[in-house]
Amino acid sequence: MNLFGMMSTSGDAMAAERMRAEVVAANMANAETTHTVSGEPYRRQHVVFAANQNQSTSFLDSMTTASGVQGNTGTSMALPALGSGTSTAPGVHIAAVVEDTGSPLKRYDPGHPDADAEGYVSYPDINPLTEMVDLMGATRAYGLNGSAVQAEKSMITSALELAKS
Amino acid sequence: MNLGIESRMGAQLERYMDLATDQTKLTATNMANIDTPGYKTMGMDFEVEMGKAISQIDSKQSASRTSLTKVDGLITRPDGNNVSMDRESLNMAEAQLKFRTGVALMRLENQKILSAIHASDK
Repeated sequence: MNLFGMMSTSGDAMAAERMRAEVVAANMANAETTHTVSGEPYRRQHVVFAANQNQSTSFLDSMTTASGVQGNTGTSMALPALGSGTSTAPGVHIAAVVEDTGSPLKRYDPGHPDADAEGYVSYPDINPLTEMVDLMGATRAYGLNGSAVQAEKSMITSALELAKS
Repeated sequence: MNLGIESRMGAQLERYMDLATDQTKLTATNMANIDTPGYKTMGMDFEVEMGKAISQIDSKQSASRTSLTKVDGLITRPDGNNVSMDRESLNMAEAQLKFRTGVALMRLENQKILSAIHASDK
């Protein structure tokens, strides 16, 4: 991985954070959805992030081929050597989008077409506050990775200065 | 063919910039995983690596891999992740400045050689 590989790491993260924001938007949009294709009320979705490289295996794998320098914690790890094949960038990806398993909220509304025999309607258990906090987290992380891309861009630009006399 | 224009300083600067790249890479990876449950911040010791690089240059060894450690002393969140946004932002800025310093010094180094090449023109 070279300088451009870093941009793909940050780019992966931006894509993942955007997906998270999209899922939050879907949750908020469906806060009152009592009827989905399956006939059930909408269930809150959330994304699960996973690192592209398994920290306990990949980093430790490269440790065995490293020059045997022991780190502070007793385990030593190493970055893949520059230009060492086409290993995936050690970024992040979305491992899964999981449904919340919590039970839906029941509201008494016998006139509602989705009301059950006792007159209760099942509403998705979506708390706008939780969703907003999640959205803020996604926005901040998106911005953070965006500024990392800026930094990487300026590094590449300054490296190009070397070619100018 | 060795033209004899590769200086010790140039080789050191090359490794310095490689290490700054590694640090940026590492910081980018940490930033990318800021919301990954169970992810632990990875760090490297720039000074130790640079010391290693200098002794490798002097003994004409090839460059070894940068060794990474898990960073201690960070606050772990309930999901097991301990990436700190502030630490990573600072590290990113630092690595970037190091890289720019490397570029500036490398340009000076190249200019020195270039002025030697053009010395006969005058």
